[in-house]
Amino acid sequence: MPDPRTPVLTPACCPTPEHTRTAGAPVVALVGNPNVGKSTLFNALTGARRHVGNWPGKTVQVARGTWPPASGTPVDLADLPGTYSLVPRSPDEELTRDLLVDPGAEGRPDLVVVTADAANLARNLYLLAEILETGVRCVVALTMTDVARARGITVDEASLARELGVPVIPVVPRRRQGLDALARAVRKELDHAVREEGDVRRPARPFHLAVPQGDDPELAAAEARYAWVHEVLAVVRTQRAGAGLTLSDRVDRVLTSRWFGIPAFLAAMWGVFTATTTLAKPLQDGLGAFVDGPVTDSATSALSGAPGWLRGLLVDGLIGGVGQLLTFVPLMVIMFVLLALLEDSGYMARAAFVVDRLMRRLGLPGRAFLPIIVGFGCNVPALAGLRILGNRRQRLLVGMIIPYVSCSARLTVYVLFAAVFFGSTAGTVVFAMYLLSVLLVVGIGMLLRKTLFRELRGEALVLELPPYRLPTLRVVGAQTWQKLAGFLRTAAGVIVATVTAVWLLSAIPLGAASGTSFGETPIEHSVFGALSRAAAPAFAPAGFDDWHAAAALGTGFVAKEAVVATVAQTYSADEPDHPDHAGELGTRLHETFERSSGGHPLPAVLAFLVFLLAYTPCMATIATQWQEMGGRMTLLSTGIQLTVAWLLAVAVFQIGSLWW
Amino acid sequence: MTLRGCAPGTHARIQRITTDAQDRLRLAELGFVRGAEVRVIGRGATGGLLLALGDARVAVDDATAHAVDIEPAPAASHA
Repeated sequence: MPDPRTPVLTPACCPTPEHTRTAGAPVVALVGNPNVGKSTLFNALTGARRHVGNWPGKTVQVARGTWPPASGTPVDLADLPGTYSLVPRSPDEELTRDLLVDPGAEGRPDLVVVTADAANLARNLYLLAEILETGVRCVVALTMTDVARARGITVDEASLARELGVPVIPVVPRRRQGLDALARAVRKELDHAVREEGDVRRPARPFHLAVPQGDDPELAAAEARYAWVHEVLAVVRTQRAGAGLTLSDRVDRVLTSRWFGIPAFLAAMWGVFTATTTLAKPLQDGLGAFVDGPVTDSATSALSGAPGWLRGLLVDGLIGGVGQLLTFVPLMVIMFVLLALLEDSGYMARAAFVVDRLMRRLGLPGRAFLPIIVGFGCNVPALAGLRILGNRRQRLLVGMIIPYVSCSARLTVYVLFAAVFFGSTAGTVVFAMYLLSVLLVVGIGMLLRKTLFRELRGEALVLELPPYRLPTLRVVGAQTWQKLAGFLRTAAGVIVATVTAVWLLSAIPLGAASGTSFGETPIEHSVFGALSRAAAPAFAPAGFDDWHAAAALGTGFVAKEAVVATVAQTYSADEPDHPDHAGELGTRLHETFERSSGGHPLPAVLAFLVFLLAYTPCMATIATQWQEMGGRMTLLSTGIQLTVAWLLAVAVFQIGSLWW
Repeated sequence: MTLRGCAPGTHARIQRITTDAQDRLRLAELGFVRGAEVRVIGRGATGGLLLALGDARVAVDDATAHAVDIEPAPAASHA
């Protein structure tokens, strides 16, 4: 009898009898719950033969690689985003669902390897039930058998395979155990698939059809699947009696408790912050000194015969740009290692649980604390850390507020200007900048949630806490390298190109009066100087209509580290050795702001600093935003920053000049 | 009786879940279904509960815990 009910997991259209095969290598997809060793298995199977990129036509990043299962042609292995269910809640989960459920989907896998965690089998079997319903051919890789054994849990693979009707292979990817057996099973199933082509499997267990019709068919199907899961568990799983609290539970009773939860969280965050600032600093300085010293020197001497402009372009432009990019590398490596350590050890989920309520008050997801804290060191690794947020819209929201977190490069500018203009109250001014930064993060966050991100509701916290584990070098190393390669691919071009472009602009002389040639122009008479002069009037309402200030903000767009140097350069004064003794530079700055503000220098300087805090942090931030959020959102974010910065600066000057 | 007020160590059986349909399905997919047994492991630093659901450990916030109607279950039985 035909069933009139709407199937939950099959598409509305009729399934086509033959599923689409991609030309060439068969596609095998890895599917599974988060935290079950899926990516570890992927890395162990593909080794170095892998790359990460967007799935064709989607914004979802998928790692793909070639894997030679036993003899015969290698297969194209895709590590699909981890998911608890085939009812999607994010574009990542949607991709997995579409590929498995829609028989006509482009790139539909010929076979699915489902990872199932032996130490937490019930929930993994739930996803497996859904996958079996789609009728896709699959092999189960049973992971975490060692963890299960340590907890007194035994899973009988043979009876599990019998219950499911698909091959079940136990694997320990960290120790490369079971990989050959998995390869043989996959090869065998693929060979079957070739022989039986055209014969589409009927869904093995159509729970979505077998449930009574109610007002919530999806919920009823979920309950039916769990009923089946518990039947299977009763056959395949045995547990030694007396298993109560695990070691992880005991640790959690301390690390998430009322008394130790917050101190433990603060200690972990202090560690992350220290590592991304103090620990990174000497490495960054060392790399910077190496590029500025030996590399620049040998390039200069190698080019001694070349014309001055070419030497300038290559040494000051190109090598300078590469040097700036390189100084980010230690920072990114440290950040990615920390992320991998926190995730792999299991602490990240605990930290999100501990601060969930505080972050919720700010309207942000619990996990957003980490990128925001890291942002006070540097916004670039903070943006790269967005990946811990599972939901893409949340990533976009947090990615748009991170630039308002005042990074340490901005601090150097605050310190110089505060020392020159505010003397003994300089500390208060710097503190006020940080306070404003926090207010901006919260305020802009709320504004965005009320406008662009209205659909992001305060989601219920239901967070799985994986057991604590010792992170392995292989996993941490592989994840770090994968992310670093992604950063270099996207950011390298943008950073080097911008530094070179700014050098070019400041090297091209403008106007006959300058009487100098390319590459030897004082900055005042260069195209850069002229552009700064043209931009300066825009800052008149903020009290700093002056080309020196505009030029400083121009280079600040590239890197805030360069602002102090540009200020010195535009006044043809030496960069102060110590910001507290700005000397002649201080006097000239006083004169400039006195003039541009019409006698209200202090509000004008404050307005300048506020603008500097709120506008685009640097080129590397834009490049990273571009990689994490896409071009459109990056441009929108930059537009908002410039608008907010200008409005705030004007408000500070207009209101401030009423008093001072 | 809901999960919210339960002390660490409590064993309970889920009777129904009263959140909206979307959250209810999400909870069901993780195993929070009618008849499932949960055990309270601990309380979070700023609220919320740490629960054992079979072999899994799941953290939920107070509002979610409040939406889970339960009845006490004997400590010895296993889900």
